[in-house]
Amino acid sequence: MLRNTPDSWGAPAKLFHWVMAALILAQIALGVMAANWRVSPTKLELFFWHKSTGILILALVALRLAWRLANPVPLLPSGMAAWERAAARLGHLFLYALMIALPVTGWIVNSASNVPFRIFWLVPLPAIVAPDEPTADFVAEVHGGLAALLALVLAAHIGAALWHHFVKRDTVLERMLPRRAP
Amino acid sequence: MKRIVPVLGLCGLLAFAPLPAQGADWKMDPAGSKLEFIATFEKAAAPGEFKEFDARLRFDPDKPAGSRLEVTVKVTSADMNVADVNKEIRGKDWFDYAAFPQAEFRSTELRRIEGNRYVARGTLVLKGVKQPIEVPFSWTASADGAVMEGELLLSRGAFGIGTGEWTASDVIGADVKVKFKVKLRKAR
Repeated sequence: MLRNTPDSWGAPAKLFHWVMAALILAQIALGVMAANWRVSPTKLELFFWHKSTGILILALVALRLAWRLANPVPLLPSGMAAWERAAARLGHLFLYALMIALPVTGWIVNSASNVPFRIFWLVPLPAIVAPDEPTADFVAEVHGGLAALLALVLAAHIGAALWHHFVKRDTVLERMLPRRAP
Repeated sequence: MKRIVPVLGLCGLLAFAPLPAQGADWKMDPAGSKLEFIATFEKAAAPGEFKEFDARLRFDPDKPAGSRLEVTVKVTSADMNVADVNKEIRGKDWFDYAAFPQAEFRSTELRRIEGNRYVARGTLVLKGVKQPIEVPFSWTASADGAVMEGELLLSRGAFGIGTGEWTASDVIGADVKVKFKVKLRKAR
């Protein structure tokens, strides 16, 4: 089943979710290491992979968003309090906003700092702002702050999924898992 | 009369004596000149420029044999367009500004390849390392002077640019392209 239904996610939505989950976790690790590594070829290598992965995530989130808008979204389980529904919506809104804002701010830092960069060695990344050191420094701070916010929202997201599964015992987590063979 | 004849004879001799094949002296016009170096970072071009340099040339495009080219480069004027990189390249691992603020090229031989293309062979001293190099260039004369333009590949390792852990060339490439455009005026 490809398309989402009112009670479950289709295969493309699941694939987007889990591939991006893996990429985002790797991306946070790469970013933290790149920022803190002493100046060395390893640091440059870490930044190279962080930037390449970031652009990949930005491309994937665009496709994912298009797919989500073209599909029904599975309903939340009945019996959730109004504030729980609101928190769920807000959390997902934050996740999408951050999946876009993080690569875009990273792209701005790369452009403003004027560092030459080819995505996965292949495609030169065009600049979206003019070279300017104060801009690069400021937006790098914003990027770091957003990354910290993402870590918080992700913790809440994972916590909520586990809470649904183990405490509420509903299907919220299960319906995002790869379907087991019958 | 008797005295004048030998004098005239001497003048005649001088008139036919071969002139030293030196060509004209040329001076660089810094405003119209540019010396770039293009390194690579993860296979992306990382361009830089030496903002201050000077070329002196004795050159006759038709008789390049007796010509000479001398270039001095203020290495400390390097600009790679990225603040962090500019900070980094001053250090001992890279250009080592403190110990080697200047680089120098002196030609030992200059010859025509074909048409307006020439090559100057000589010695480059960069970061204290002497290496023979060939500098190919084109020569374009204009009403107010001439322009010499060319590019060559240097191996940064040969000059110890990027030592220690930077020696490996997978992140910062081994070859650096050097591009120059030198505007010249005849020196009086």
